[in-house]
Amino acid sequence: MGFLRNLLGTRDKIEDSSHKGQDQQPNQPSSKKLSENVEYLLNEFKRTDDLKIRAMNNGQAVLMYFEPLVDQEKIQQNIFTPLEMGHVEHISEIPNARSSENLEEMIPTLLRGHAVYMEDGSKTITRFNVTSVFNRNVEEPQNEKIVRGSHDGFIENLMINLNLVRKKIEHRDLVVKYFKVGKKTNTNIAIVYMDGIADPEIVKKMEERIKAISVDMIQSPGYIEEFIEDNPYSPFPQMLNTERPDRVTANIMEGRIALMAEGSPTTLIAPSTFFMFYQASDDYNARWYTGTFVRLVRLASFIIAIGMPAFYIAVISFHYEVLPDELLLPVKSSINEIAYPPILEALIMVVIIELIRESGIRLPSPVGQTIGIVGGLVIGDAVVRAGLVSNLMVIVVALTAIASFVVPSNELSTTLRLMTFPLIFLAGTFGFVGIVFGFLFLTIHLTRLESFGVPYFAPVAPLSISDLKDTFVRLPLFMMKKRPKDAHPLQEKAMGESREWVQHEPDNNKN
Amino acid sequence: MKRKSICILTCLLLLTGCWDTRQFKDVKLVLSIGFDQNDDGTLTETVSIPTVKRSTDGPTSETVQVLTTEGKTPREARDHTDQMIANTFDPSKAKVILMGEELAKNSIQPIFDQFYRNPNNNLNAYIAVVDGKAEDAIRMTPSNESGVSKYISELLEGQINATHSTGENIEVLHGELLEPGIDFAVPLLSIEEEQDMLNFEGLALFHKDAYTGEFIPNHQTTLLMLLEGIRGKLASFTLKVTDEEENAIRNYLTFRVMRNKQDMKVKVENDQVTADISMKLKIRVVEYPSNHLTSKKKIKKLNKKLSELLTEQAEEIIATIQEANSDVFQIGRHVHSYHPDYWKKVKWDEEFPNITITPKVEVDIVQYGVIS
Repeated sequence: MGFLRNLLGTRDKIEDSSHKGQDQQPNQPSSKKLSENVEYLLNEFKRTDDLKIRAMNNGQAVLMYFEPLVDQEKIQQNIFTPLEMGHVEHISEIPNARSSENLEEMIPTLLRGHAVYMEDGSKTITRFNVTSVFNRNVEEPQNEKIVRGSHDGFIENLMINLNLVRKKIEHRDLVVKYFKVGKKTNTNIAIVYMDGIADPEIVKKMEERIKAISVDMIQSPGYIEEFIEDNPYSPFPQMLNTERPDRVTANIMEGRIALMAEGSPTTLIAPSTFFMFYQASDDYNARWYTGTFVRLVRLASFIIAIGMPAFYIAVISFHYEVLPDELLLPVKSSINEIAYPPILEALIMVVIIELIRESGIRLPSPVGQTIGIVGGLVIGDAVVRAGLVSNLMVIVVALTAIASFVVPSNELSTTLRLMTFPLIFLAGTFGFVGIVFGFLFLTIHLTRLESFGVPYFAPVAPLSISDLKDTFVRLPLFMMKKRPKDAHPLQEKAMGESREWVQHEPDNNKN
Repeated sequence: MKRKSICILTCLLLLTGCWDTRQFKDVKLVLSIGFDQNDDGTLTETVSIPTVKRSTDGPTSETVQVLTTEGKTPREARDHTDQMIANTFDPSKAKVILMGEELAKNSIQPIFDQFYRNPNNNLNAYIAVVDGKAEDAIRMTPSNESGVSKYISELLEGQINATHSTGENIEVLHGELLEPGIDFAVPLLSIEEEQDMLNFEGLALFHKDAYTGEFIPNHQTTLLMLLEGIRGKLASFTLKVTDEEENAIRNYLTFRVMRNKQDMKVKVENDQVTADISMKLKIRVVEYPSNHLTSKKKIKKLNKKLSELLTEQAEEIIATIQEANSDVFQIGRHVHSYHPDYWKKVKWDEEFPNITITPKVEVDIVQYGVIS
């Protein structure tokens, strides 16, 4: 993929374009005449039918709101009840009312689900927050399950997501910054970081890149990711996707920045490194031996997922000398009568597995199970019996697929399955030499890649020995006294001497 | 740049598998090769090719095809074989290479030349000399084994583990063939017609690249190996230590070597070469019905007896080697490197049978089992 990048030329630097401000709002002073005000708003909203106008005081005043956005119960409770009960003289005296004389300001307000109250003969416009909210529960995300640890997950509401983060980091340094992105959709997005830990340079970079986005619609962080990542032509994800609050808070505490968007549970974390995609929350909840073991297995799965079919093809079409004597005849017997060359065999099987996987996701779960049975048992078995594909190839490809699902991040998992293809072609053309060159290109690309100006392949390249404690292995937490250097944290020290009690309790020294 | 990349990409996609591929499914694997000399100077090459067939379920069935062809050179014979078989002849996984006695007595270097030229050849293939014709050995159908190649290679491997042979393979042989002052010994197999089996006769002694006709019989090969400083997983001896007992079994002692230390000192004095080979063995007695071996005196006596017996046998071995003029202890190389003046003066081939080689074996019983 080195040449993929060259193919499309070096990326132009973002010009420091002066972003046309959401800061300077257009001003449209309200009129004393109620009909003019109503007419203005109606015209601005293109006379949409769901903009409800409710006449009050015998037509002397109106309450305007978007019917689908407001909660009728709240209107009753916040506006009419205080009036009826006689708690207030005038509607503008209701506690949560806010006044303005700018009609233009009412437009986003109405769109947010507020109600607007206007009176004839008065310039003052009063608005009330009566937004209705529909939320699902903060359940554990389906795609990032863990065994031990917290089981909450982000949902589609930005406020609740921020709430989950603030609950986990109760500190004055936690900073949230809002942005509005998307000229038509006006999507709320927020970046969250720890002031005093996160590198201000990176924060500035993030802000600049977000402000540079100029599109009509932003749907999810996936959209934003493509606009702000360093190298969009790399197959590797340069920002970590997660729906887990614990993963987000842990990364914020390492000095990284989280980016959240309204309407999506997915949070982006930047700057991220390759090895972050292999760290699961489970590693830190389990004992460190198990954590280390599982992480090693996971990293081995990287090699298996991208290299196994290529290795097998290279062995049986170039270098069968490496087969042990005992395996010689079993292997020969299984591939002897296969019609196609191994590279085609591998491609067929890899594509079939992708088909099964993709159809399994799209179908409702009861039918999805049928696909699993049909795909796994029927095709897997029948294809071998029919002599189209050798049973060894089925084993190899199945192992590869399993290995690719081990990665805790769905983003990287799909990347890995994609990376198998170039390696299969290289192995089919040049044998081991091809595989070596494939891995060489891959390593070169990974070491050159940057995420927000931070090396992607850290801490391996550039090498940082102390950060290796949480890379291939997971050493006990009290040994990781410093934050990883790759995110450039301002404050390196993450913990003090936490186990000094060992010296005070002489009994513990013995074992 | 763009156009170049697209070119490379399309080439990669369209030309896969056209370059240098050797499809495993398209070759005929030759697992054992035998060479024999004909009376008119031509060669006979015998190869065994297993063909496997997999039924949809059930076990794979293996049929072995044995082909014999003639040619002026090994390579020509191989080409003749290739003309008879389906697919391509591929010796890269050959397990054993057998030589007929007649051929081995002539010269073996020309046979192995082709194996060194092609890097695909399996340099780990074992080499053995067959007492008789190599063809007969490869044509055997051992009833309990799953193929003659596997049988022979495992037979030879067993001999290595039991300290009967050095495990001479093509790679090791190369140095020994070319280097002056080094000779080697190759396992000698004989065919047992009635049982349809092969038998490890001993080690055939080579001089330069030809079989001398002399061999170390299999009951002495272990000692020869130990004298060379080589020990496999297991080295055991059964020796007759007395004649006194009535029951014949009680006269014998079987022991295993646990640790061996070998040292060879070569001296050249007054143009006379003397070599002292001393060896210390620490042993464990595994069978000795006549005594429990609890007294130190008895053990001391046995140590002495065993040392004498082994030294005697070592002398016999050395006599055979000198008679065959096969310098398996590599004394020649020693002389070559430490006494070059002397080496230049004499013809080592003629000198070797006349030098003095004195073996000295010391045995020390360190374990005698749990009997007490």
